[in-house]
Amino acid sequence: MTDRRRINGPPGGTRPPIFASSLESTSDIVAERPQRQRQPNELRKIFLKTGLIPSASGSSYLEFEPSTSLSAARSKPKSVIPPSSSLKLACTVHGPKPLPRSATFSPNLVLTTHVKYAPFAGRRRKGHVRDASERDLGVHLETALRGAIVAERWPKSGLDITITILEAEDDRWWGDAPDSHDAAWGMMNVLAGCITAASAAISDARIDCLDLVAGGVAAVVADETAGRETTSQLMLDTDPADHRSILSACVVAYMPARDEITELWLKGDNSKSSVGTDNRGLGHEALIDGAVDAARGAHSVLAEAVRESAQRFAGLPSGDFT
Amino acid sequence: MPLDTSTTYPLTKLRLDGRRWNELRLIHAQISTNPASSGSSYLAMGNTTILCSVHGPAEGRRGDATGGAAGSSGAVVEVDVNIAGFAGIDRKRRAGGSDKQSGRVASTLRSAFQSHLHTYLYPHSTISVHVSVLSADGSLLAAAVNACTLALVDAGIPMPGLLCGCTAGMSGSASTPRDPLNDYLDPLLDVSLPEEQELPFLTVATTTSVPTGADEDEDDMKVAMLTMDSKVHHTYIETMLAVGVDGCKQIREILDGVIKGSSQR
Amino acid sequence: MAAQRQASSASQTPHLSPAELSYLYTSLSLPGTPIRPDGRSPTQFRPLAAETDILPGTNGSARVGFADGTQAIVGVKAEVERTALGIQALSTAEQQDYAAAGNDDRGGGNNGGSKQGSVSGSGQGSWVQMAIEIPGFRDDDALPVFLAEMMREPLVESVSGGGEGGMVGGLKGRLVINRRWHWRLYIDVLLLSQPLSYPLPLLSLTTHLALLATKLPKLKSKGEEDPFFDDDWNAAEYLYPRVKSTKHSSIPGSISVHKVRPPVTLLVVSVAENIIFDPSREEIAVADAVLAISVTYDTDFDRLKLLSIRTIDPPSRLTQPGVPNSENVATLGSTTAAEESVIVNPSTGEEEVPGVWRPRRGGVKRATIAKMIKMVLEKGGVGEEVLDGLEGVEVG
Repeated sequence: MTDRRRINGPPGGTRPPIFASSLESTSDIVAERPQRQRQPNELRKIFLKTGLIPSASGSSYLEFEPSTSLSAARSKPKSVIPPSSSLKLACTVHGPKPLPRSATFSPNLVLTTHVKYAPFAGRRRKGHVRDASERDLGVHLETALRGAIVAERWPKSGLDITITILEAEDDRWWGDAPDSHDAAWGMMNVLAGCITAASAAISDARIDCLDLVAGGVAAVVADETAGRETTSQLMLDTDPADHRSILSACVVAYMPARDEITELWLKGDNSKSSVGTDNRGLGHEALIDGAVDAARGAHSVLAEAVRESAQRFAGLPSGDFT
Repeated sequence: MPLDTSTTYPLTKLRLDGRRWNELRLIHAQISTNPASSGSSYLAMGNTTILCSVHGPAEGRRGDATGGAAGSSGAVVEVDVNIAGFAGIDRKRRAGGSDKQSGRVASTLRSAFQSHLHTYLYPHSTISVHVSVLSADGSLLAAAVNACTLALVDAGIPMPGLLCGCTAGMSGSASTPRDPLNDYLDPLLDVSLPEEQELPFLTVATTTSVPTGADEDEDDMKVAMLTMDSKVHHTYIETMLAVGVDGCKQIREILDGVIKGSSQR
Repeated sequence: MAAQRQASSASQTPHLSPAELSYLYTSLSLPGTPIRPDGRSPTQFRPLAAETDILPGTNGSARVGFADGTQAIVGVKAEVERTALGIQALSTAEQQDYAAAGNDDRGGGNNGGSKQGSVSGSGQGSWVQMAIEIPGFRDDDALPVFLAEMMREPLVESVSGGGEGGMVGGLKGRLVINRRWHWRLYIDVLLLSQPLSYPLPLLSLTTHLALLATKLPKLKSKGEEDPFFDDDWNAAEYLYPRVKSTKHSSIPGSISVHKVRPPVTLLVVSVAENIIFDPSREEIAVADAVLAISVTYDTDFDRLKLLSIRTIDPPSRLTQPGVPNSENVATLGSTTAAEESVIVNPSTGEEEVPGVWRPRRGGVKRATIAKMIKMVLEKGGVGEEVLDGLEGVEVG
């Protein structure tokens, strides 16, 4: 559906010009490719804060730590194009509120999720009307949260969860667009962030949940390391811009206290690689376990943010507990 | 070499697909194709392929925009036309699942069948007709009328007679008055897509007041629907209409055979 | 209503009473031998009728109908399109063009072929577009969008090996014509009636067959020329290439079979300890977890490989709970406490009164997911059975 109400920018992505005078050779661009500086099992730091939007019954803001190359580029820019991006999103929860009169009876809390990229969130501009990938994310998020919420405590009520993505994760490094990897790997990181942030916002709105549900991503990447040899490796919390090729990736929504997964989204073909196990057929299990480990990491941040929210609610000064 | 009817037809008296002026395309039809609906049909007129399913008469939806007052005197006919993305030559993507063409076909079908069916027998109910166009190669509206008729017969909804549609065109642009002495233009029966795009044509659907039988009287034929969007000199209308009505009669016999054939099984 | 439509992400749930739900759940969760409402075994699929190449106006088409009357039609259309190039590809393209010009002077006949090899395998997933039409839904509603993405994902993810009859770079690689041109594939899925159960298996099987029947015109131009094609449709080549069969050596007069086949997506549900395939609407309504698992045949290792998994929101979370007699005002005091002893459900770890329906809560254990995947992937498992069954369908 095209948006006819506003004057829109060009529908396709735009790529800033690179002037030949600023380049010594084509290899210059390639040399600027960001590299992963973290250990394979090291996660990015997460900034998560609740209660920033007073008009909503619950809200949260989440930000991923910028990668080393990104923060270096920010302090000392070499090019107008940042090498990678880091996720920033805001989540608001409205409700529980009565369902509209026209709605049919529901014995449970009716959950509605809206995920929307800001037009400037990604390298490719997003329109104001939600597109297929945003609707897709909304369904994923709904599945992840519905398993965690104790819905029968609010019959005839609705809960609206709205997520605005201010800065999205890239699907690939801009330099090798669009032919190296074209699948929406960045979307998986975005989903993991959405799950964690929404979980914090829901508990900030004091909706009863079975457990805090946290999102985590793991991926099998094939990187050209030293020489020409390509090795595939399991990495947690991957930034797609750091890697030349991602074979498969997995995002989970995980509840640590119950050791249960409410949402699992795995895609990609890793049949050529063997990770984690000797058995080639079991790569997916290592992948799921890796994503669960990443979710456990996010859960510790989440727990801290929720505790802060609870202290604010109890009237305690933040940061002071015992 | 330009391949269009207006240049080649006067020379060969054969149309692009090899038919003469008064020949229908091959019609293949089947009823009861989908057991999940009250009535359904499959109809292929040449390369135009249509699937139609009917649900109802059933209780109308509550809280509808029309409210409970609608249909208090008789059933409401709802028609939904979906032209598949792969139906045409080029793949088309339609915004929001509907476009101008399918909307027009749907509203024409709705008004035609609303007045045709004995809707007074089913007050407070809805008859919903779903038409899927799998392949569009001209005479879309006519084929849709025929498919709907078959599906409605399969659903057992009473109607005075079979509503059959057909198209008729002229073999030239026909923009000047007809000269009876030097009449070089022929009317064409059942136009295909290339003909539809270059020539004037009209779509007509007729019905009979009593169910068809051997003693069908020519005077009993009633025109139930007539549409035309192209420009033609008024002196040609009568010829085209006569050919179209005659085509409807031929189609009625075919559809009649399909219905009788399937009931014998 | 938007909220209502999105809520129905696992298709319309039938209106079943808590007592009916509880009965279904209990019979489906019998240890070892679940009793399904239609008497199938846990891994048995519903019978279906299939035909291919039904629409002459498409590159490939198929129709599948289940016995309950739900039917789907898939039409595949292909169009030639110009390829947008990345920076690196542009720079290498220039270098290769110079090299090619040099070679052409010496009249290198197989030059085109070698270059074809160097560019293949770099297709893009966005070249495959999928749209699903479901009556009663707008095509930007959550369900059609989610289903389309779910089925498109494994199609473009699959990377298969080369070799005889293989497809280098999978479907994406097959769509590459040369460095500047590619095919764009439109897959339009038409569901002919309101879905009676979650339509995923039906749509996936139909898409699989339609893609097998898809033909692309034979390319007559060579190398980096602007493409032009053979007019003769009989000379057209299958999208998924075929080779002479070696598997069925017992049959004389070798038949051509597909070595690489498109993936299929299976719908798997878990009810307590049991794993059930191809669930009907009633079975989904009580499922603890619903998973869509996409697999395809791995030609390199002669076994199945996993391409994608998605969880689908089980509608059992939205159902109405039953009220135990001990809490019911109407029957209060008529039963003794011993009749309604609370037991702990082994799969959910929650306290339950037998025979009283509780909406499902929480997620699914990792062990259950692993078991579901294993049942699909294992040698002689359900995935192979389905793919073998599909091989029985006459294509083209």
